Amino acid sequence: MKLRILFSALILSLLGRAQERLIVVNEGLWQTDNGKLSYFEDGEMVSNEWFRDVNGRKLGDTPNDIIRINDNLIAIAVNWSNIVQFITPVGVAVAETEDVPNNRKLATDGRFLYVTSYGHEVAIDGGYQEFEKGFVAKIDVQTFKVVDAVEVGYEPEGIAFYDGYIFVANTGGYAFQENHPYETTVSVIDASTMRMVREIDTGQINLYGKMSQTGRYLCINSPGDYYDVMAATIIFNCRAAIENEPDEDCFIKLEYAATYNTVDLDGNFLAIGSRYSYYSGGYEFNYVTINPVELFATGGSLGVEDSLPGSLKEYILKLTMPYGIYVNPYTGYYYATDAGEFTGAGALLQFTPQGEYIGKWKTYINPAHFLALKPDNYTDDPEQKEPDDEEDSSIHNPIEYSKPQIYNLQGIPIDHPRSGEIYISNGKKFLQP
Amino acid sequence: MNKLEVKARTLLVTVAALVAIVLPLQYASASTNFAEAELDSATMLMDIEVTATRRPLATAQELEGAKLQSLSSTSIADALKYFAGVQIKDYGGLGGLKTINVRSLGAQHVGVYIDGIRITNAQNGTVDLGKYSLSTLESVSLYNANKLEKGQSASEYASGATVYLRTRRPDTDSLSVLAGIGSFHTYRGRLNLQFNRRGWQGFIDGEYLYSKGDYPFRYKSEYEDTVGRRKNSDIRFYRIEGALFHKGFAAHIYSYISERGCPGGIVRRLSDKYTNIGREWDTDIFVQASWQRAFNPAHFLSVNGKYSHEYLRYDTDYPENQNTARVNNHYFQNDAYLSAAYTFSPLRWLYVNVGYDARMSWLKADLRNFSSVRRLDQKAVVDAHFEWRGFRAQASVLYQHYKDHTKMKAGAADPISKFTPSFIIGYNWRGLNVRGWYKRIFRVPTLNDLYYTQAGNRNLKPEYTRQWNLGAEYTLTLGQWQASAQADAYINHIDNRIVCLPLRGTYTWSMMNYGKTFCRGLNATLSGQFNPGDWTFSLLGSLTLQHDVNRTNPEDEETYDIPICYSPKTSFGLTGIVAWRNFSLTISELHVGKRIWSYADPDDILAPYNNVDIKLSGQWRWFIASFEINDLFDVQYEHVPRYPMPGRNFKFTLTYTLGKT
Repeated sequence: MKLRILFSALILSLLGRAQERLIVVNEGLWQTDNGKLSYFEDGEMVSNEWFRDVNGRKLGDTPNDIIRINDNLIAIAVNWSNIVQFITPVGVAVAETEDVPNNRKLATDGRFLYVTSYGHEVAIDGGYQEFEKGFVAKIDVQTFKVVDAVEVGYEPEGIAFYDGYIFVANTGGYAFQENHPYETTVSVIDASTMRMVREIDTGQINLYGKMSQTGRYLCINSPGDYYDVMAATIIFNCRAAIENEPDEDCFIKLEYAATYNTVDLDGNFLAIGSRYSYYSGGYEFNYVTINPVELFATGGSLGVEDSLPGSLKEYILKLTMPYGIYVNPYTGYYYATDAGEFTGAGALLQFTPQGEYIGKWKTYINPAHFLALKPDNYTDDPEQKEPDDEEDSSIHNPIEYSKPQIYNLQGIPIDHPRSGEIYISNGKKFLQP
Repeated sequence: MNKLEVKARTLLVTVAALVAIVLPLQYASASTNFAEAELDSATMLMDIEVTATRRPLATAQELEGAKLQSLSSTSIADALKYFAGVQIKDYGGLGGLKTINVRSLGAQHVGVYIDGIRITNAQNGTVDLGKYSLSTLESVSLYNANKLEKGQSASEYASGATVYLRTRRPDTDSLSVLAGIGSFHTYRGRLNLQFNRRGWQGFIDGEYLYSKGDYPFRYKSEYEDTVGRRKNSDIRFYRIEGALFHKGFAAHIYSYISERGCPGGIVRRLSDKYTNIGREWDTDIFVQASWQRAFNPAHFLSVNGKYSHEYLRYDTDYPENQNTARVNNHYFQNDAYLSAAYTFSPLRWLYVNVGYDARMSWLKADLRNFSSVRRLDQKAVVDAHFEWRGFRAQASVLYQHYKDHTKMKAGAADPISKFTPSFIIGYNWRGLNVRGWYKRIFRVPTLNDLYYTQAGNRNLKPEYTRQWNLGAEYTLTLGQWQASAQADAYINHIDNRIVCLPLRGTYTWSMMNYGKTFCRGLNATLSGQFNPGDWTFSLLGSLTLQHDVNRTNPEDEETYDIPICYSPKTSFGLTGIVAWRNFSLTISELHVGKRIWSYADPDDILAPYNNVDIKLSGQWRWFIASFEINDLFDVQYEHVPRYPMPGRNFKFTLTYTLGKT
């Protein structure tokens, strides 16, 4: 397999440079030690055990999140193994730490990694700091050591970095049998001092799942309590929180679930939500596109559409069990995953930036988390953009797709592409459906 | 069939027990018929022997007496693994959960009965076989279809497969003390006091066991070399039981108190700092009594009653345990059971059995959003049995009604009322027995499935099984030689499987009806025995060939018609016993084929394994010593991925007996 990767790398370097590169994190089955990385490049699933191929060992049990820290470093939270694993963009493991047990989700400012944890202790300076509730740890990515930590609510889940502050959604619903109520708050932490500066009460319990971020806006899911409190989505305004606006002006609550959510190149949140009720024993799915700028500008009355771009919804409806949605922030390609039968392989679906279905690739068990790698010729870095003015809000400028000329791999313009072949358009390879 | 033969058989059994040699063949006394057996002064012993040796019409396997004791086994799970069609699921170590699955129906379709009364667990529907000891048992048997005896209770018709544990009735007065020592810091002590006076028999049996369970394991592959010792796999238990028998009356009191560690799967860790520490405390107590009476050859009555109490505490509140929620939960389960069955034989060739059972279960737990649940489970059966020359046929209809009460917010599940049929036909000609049977049965969702906080789904439907079976059995006795062989081909359908799936988002799982399984298989057993003089040579073999496929989703090429997880295509067991006077040597070999545990990757398999066990035991005056080596070749294997089983281990026990053994 290693040889195969080297070989494909060689081929690709000869043919041109890779454009569409994606790591998919497969959670595997709990306590089975089979968390795996899938590596997808330009229409080919290069490997479904990429970490193992590159490093000759296993990743661990139940990886939960993946994040790009900087051009050279990626972090993976391997939850049940209690490991935060650091790899380079070519997959080589460079460091790992177990100083943050029960790690959940990751955020970064490029210099430090911020990790939420359901655990109650963290290793700092050779000692242990204990917490009654959950905490956020700050890891220096030069030393891979925890330098600071702060207690937040019970079972802190989603985490985001914005303008010097960290925003943490607390669930309180995981350790359900512990004697504490559901949390309803978003904790705001000054990233430099690691002090909590504010707790914003959203009034909605159980803020659970990965949150997505576009500039100052966060999309936070709440599954409710499955009885009387229905699932909801909180669209959170970080700027308002920093500027000390009253709690109720910092967020808008929507009557949708955002179980799986992501952000597109236009700065919209895309969400697949499932709402469950113990009373009916049934599930209700929703598929929404949320424009946070419009939402806040109209006080919540506009900016939500019951649809997903292109044919995404049509294909997602056909999945056995949708398990993730993602947009490549560099190229605008859409992805969705299917967990299938859970004990079988999942699948990765790819869509063009217009939302047209391209194809489907086999992954490993429970493909849940994504990270797109920077295309080889990419210069603009969406992650490092200053998120200050209202206009851009970190909305990346997608490359113009209105009338793309298609070329074959030899660079010859093609008017009638054939199905199943790989072509190049706007500097990106794609597979003609 | 005459009385003399019955008596001769009885005598033989007694002798066998006395000198601790291997019992004759299973079901050796070919056609003992209860209806024909007259009641006389020997009734008491005859009752036992007759019920024990009557050739079953349906597919059955049995291990009894000395044969059972000569196997290397500490728990019932160890004995059952020698049966054809049985798959054991074992999480490893003495404290690890041990359940059995018969013909891939699933553990919840296997009913386990002690002296005809079911061991229930309304909470999760499975019985941890590790909790029951072999030492007080006379026999362990497995019936794939209904056992079909007179006075059988309605609940005995209600499982997909049935395991019967029969308690030994003492035939002497004795006091014995046992001390044992084993690998991985295992210590065991046992005291048994038994009597047989004026038609009353009884015993008191107490046992203590401690095992640290720190066995070594190794995972070695191209991308892994993990060597370690199992941690948090210790167990300590106290078992005290007593039984009293008088003619058709039997009473049994049983208590089991234990504390154990619950180790997790072996996963990648950077150090030993964080381990999955969970601990479990159990108290299981039951009292049961049964009474059977044949009024004359035409009327037979059987009444059973049982009360059981189960307490379980599960605690994860330890600093080493940062992963799971810090819980300290207590579960209480109480269960009251009554049954009555009446068999009427109006004609020589016909008998009809009617039975009614009622069981009330209460479950209490200090879980959030959980309040107590009460379940009333009623069953009624009508069973007709025809017998004409060598031809036998049986047909039964079982009615089951379940109703739950709870104050939980979501309310109780709807009551379930169902009829299910079964029939068997058989023909017997000069030791050759041919049979065919069909059985349709379901398992109701357990209280956990329905009500467990955060996962339960009160809209679950029953999980149905349909079983078809065609088989033959042949028994031969020639002087010192005895042999018997049986083979059964079967087809099973399982619909509406009750499974747990994460549907509300990652990490939040819930119970669903999802999935169909189609199974085809062949179970065969072979046994032979040769008794020249003081010697006994026995050979027992079992073979399972099966092809169990997933028929859930025809659209999904990855899984449809692909073998189901954890089901080996081939497994077999072979046991040889050599006994001379008071000494015996047993060697057994068990092979379990490759099993897949996920469809995702061809590497996701549990490797085939062979286990060789040896047991040597001997008696000298008042002492019996036994020495065993399990997993002689130190094969590393698993039943559940990342839950390693112990490798080679030793056991030595010494028993001192005062009085006749």
